[in-house]
Amino acid sequence: MNVATLVNKLGVDAPSPLLKQSPTTIMFAIAVVMSLAIPQLSVSDPVSLASASVGIVLATAFAAFLTVRPSLQHLALIVPTIDFLAIGALRYGTGDSSSIFASLVVLPVVWFAVEEGRRYILFAFLGTAVALLLPFLLGNTAGGPPSLLRAAYASVAFAIAAAVINELSRHARLRLYSARALSDQRVEALNKNLEHTERLAESEAKLRQAELLYRGLWGAVTEQSVIGTDVTGRIDAWNPGAARLLDLPAEAVQDIRYVDEFHLAEELEDRSRELEYPAGATVLNPGFSALVEPARLGSADVREWTYVRHDGERIPVELSVTPRTGENGEIIGYLFVAFDMTKAREVARLKDEFVGLISHELRTPLSSILGYLELIRDEDETELSADQLQYLAVAERNAHRLLRLVGDLLFTAQVESGTFTLDLQRQDLSPILSASLESARPQAAATGITLRADVPAGFFAEVDAVRLGQACDNLISNAIKFTPRGGTVTVALAGAERDAVVRVSDTGIGIAQDELDKVFGKFFRASTATRNAVPGVGLGLAITKAIVKAHGGDMDVASEEGVGTAFSLSVPLVNEPALV
Amino acid sequence: MTDELDIPRVLVADDDADISTLVAIAVRRSGLTLIDKRSDGESAWHAIRELRPDVVVLDVSMPGMTGLEVCRALRADPDLVGTRVLLLSAAVDDASRQAGLDAGADEYMLKPFSPRELIDRLSRLAGPAEPAQSGVAR
Repeated sequence: MNVATLVNKLGVDAPSPLLKQSPTTIMFAIAVVMSLAIPQLSVSDPVSLASASVGIVLATAFAAFLTVRPSLQHLALIVPTIDFLAIGALRYGTGDSSSIFASLVVLPVVWFAVEEGRRYILFAFLGTAVALLLPFLLGNTAGGPPSLLRAAYASVAFAIAAAVINELSRHARLRLYSARALSDQRVEALNKNLEHTERLAESEAKLRQAELLYRGLWGAVTEQSVIGTDVTGRIDAWNPGAARLLDLPAEAVQDIRYVDEFHLAEELEDRSRELEYPAGATVLNPGFSALVEPARLGSADVREWTYVRHDGERIPVELSVTPRTGENGEIIGYLFVAFDMTKAREVARLKDEFVGLISHELRTPLSSILGYLELIRDEDETELSADQLQYLAVAERNAHRLLRLVGDLLFTAQVESGTFTLDLQRQDLSPILSASLESARPQAAATGITLRADVPAGFFAEVDAVRLGQACDNLISNAIKFTPRGGTVTVALAGAERDAVVRVSDTGIGIAQDELDKVFGKFFRASTATRNAVPGVGLGLAITKAIVKAHGGDMDVASEEGVGTAFSLSVPLVNEPALV
Repeated sequence: MTDELDIPRVLVADDDADISTLVAIAVRRSGLTLIDKRSDGESAWHAIRELRPDVVVLDVSMPGMTGLEVCRALRADPDLVGTRVLLLSAAVDDASRQAGLDAGADEYMLKPFSPRELIDRLSRLAGPAEPAQSGVAR
C-alpha cells in the first residue's frame, strides 16, 4: 500500500480548511439550537449570539473558499482566528462565565496546535484567552476576579493541551517525513533497478547484433583466407576462405594444427636465415617465428609466401600478418590474411610470354632493316654521297635504338619469368669495367664529357661477364646521358668488407630525393629526366638491378639535384684483393 | 655428288622472304653458290635430301619443321654427314643457343645479324673443308 495514500486517508497530512472547520460549525450550530430550544439555557445577549453566528458563517464560508482555492492556503489560519472570536461571542451571549459552550474553544486550539512550529502554541493560548476574556476586553467586568481567573486558568490549560498536541503532531510529522523519505529512496532504487535492467537488455541486444554481424562478415570472406592463431602458432580461427583455399574444414584444424604446417618449409627456413635469428633463439617453433617476427616487433608485414595443401598442391599467396592484442595491449596471437596469387601469377606469366612473343616479332623486321642498311653501305658498285651516308647513319642509329629497347623488354620479361640465367665464373672485375669504359668513350667524347676511371685489378668475383658488363654499360651510359656538356663521369672500383663495389658518379642533373627509391622500378623516369627531355623508357636501372641481384649483390644510389648522382653496385668478393 | 667447279653449294630456309633474300645475297657475296631457297622446314628438309647442299642456313622458328628439327634430322641421316649447318635465331637466351648447338649446328647466329659477319661465317664454314682435305692428301 502506498504510504502517500494512507496519509491522505487519515487526513493528517493536508485536510482541507472546510474539513477542519466542519466540527466547529456543527458544534456551534448545536449550541445555538440548544440555547434557543432549551429554556434552562438562557440567551443572555442575543446580539452577541447573532454576531457569533455571523462570525461562524463567515469563517465557514471562508474555509470553503480556501478549499476551492488551494493557492490561498497560507490564509487558512484566519478561519480558527475568527472561530476564537465567534466562540468568545457565543459564550458571552449564552451566560458568560456560566455558559456551557466555553469548551468549544478546544476546536480552534487543536487547529492551531497541529500547525508546524511551536509559536502556534502561543497563538492557541492567545486565541483562547481572547475568546474567554472577551467580556473583560469589551469592558464588562461583571464576573469579577473569579471569572477573570477562571478564564486565565482555562487559557493556560488549553495552551498546555495545545503544546502536547503540537509536540505529538510534530513527532507524527517527523515520522511521516522519514517514512516518506524512505519511500522516496525505495522508489528511486526501484527506478534505478528498472533502468539497469533496461540497459542490460539493450546491451544484450547490441551484443547479439554484433555477434550476428561478426558471423556474417566472417562467413562472407570466402575469397581471402583468414587464419587466427595464439602466440605459439596454434590455429584458433579458420574462416570459410581458408577452408576453401586449403581444402580443409575448420574442425580439422582448429586447436589441432599449427599455421606454419601449411607453409613451404624451405621458404620458412630462408626467411629465418634472412631475419638472422641467433641459433636456438626461437626454440618452440622457428618456422612460426619466421612468419610473425616483423609483426611481433610491430611493423606491418605483407609478403609473398607459398601455402601447401594437404594434397601437396602449392598455392602462391600474398600474406599479411598482424598481431592480435589483448585488453592490456599485449599480443595474444596473430592473424594471417592471405590472397590467392595463382591467377595473378598466371597473368604475369602470360604477360611475359606476350612480351617475349612481341619482342621476337619485332626483332625479325629489325633484322631486315639493319641487314639491308648494311648491304647499302657495303655496295661496291655505286659510291654513296656524303649526305646519303649521313642518312644511312641516322636510320642505322635509330634501328639500333629500337633493337636495344626490344632487348631490354625481352630481358625484363626473362627476369620476371625467372628464365634468365647467369654463366658465373670467377674473374677479375677490372677488365669488365675497362671494356665498358672503352665502349662508352665515343659517347662521352661526342657529348663533351670527361670520363675518369680508377679500376685497379685484383678484385675477383663470381660473375657473368656479359651480364655484369651490361650492368656497368647501363650505369656509365646513364651517367653520361644525364650529365651536361663539360661534366665529369667517374668510374671507381674498390673493396668494402666482403664486397667489391663499383661506383659510377657524375656531375649531372641529379634526381629528386623523393624519387630515389623509385629509380630502380620498371618504366620509372625521374622528373629531372623528363624535364630535360633525356630519351629513355625507364628499363635500364631495373635491368641493372636485376642483374646485380642475380649475382647476390645489391645497388645503391645517392643524388642531389643539380649537383650529381652516384650509383654503386656491389657483388660479393670471392677472395680478398691481394695487398700491395 | 661432287660439284665439278668445287664451289660449295648453299641452301637457305627462312619463313621471312626478306631475310632469306638477305641471306641469299650474303651467300653470293661470300662467293658460294645458292642452290635453293625454302620458306618452311618440311620442304627445306626434302630439298636438302634431294640436293645435298654443302652448307644449310636454317631459321630456327619455321612452320612445318623448326630449324632445330631439320638440323637433328640432318645429323641423323648418314648420307648427309659432311653437310654444314648455320642456325639463325631471333631468340636471345642462352638456353636457345645451347639447344641449337645440341641439335648439331656448326654455327649459331642471332637475329638481327650483320650481313658482313654472315659472309665471314659462311666463308669459314665452307672453307676449312679444303685445307683439311689437302692436309689429309699430303
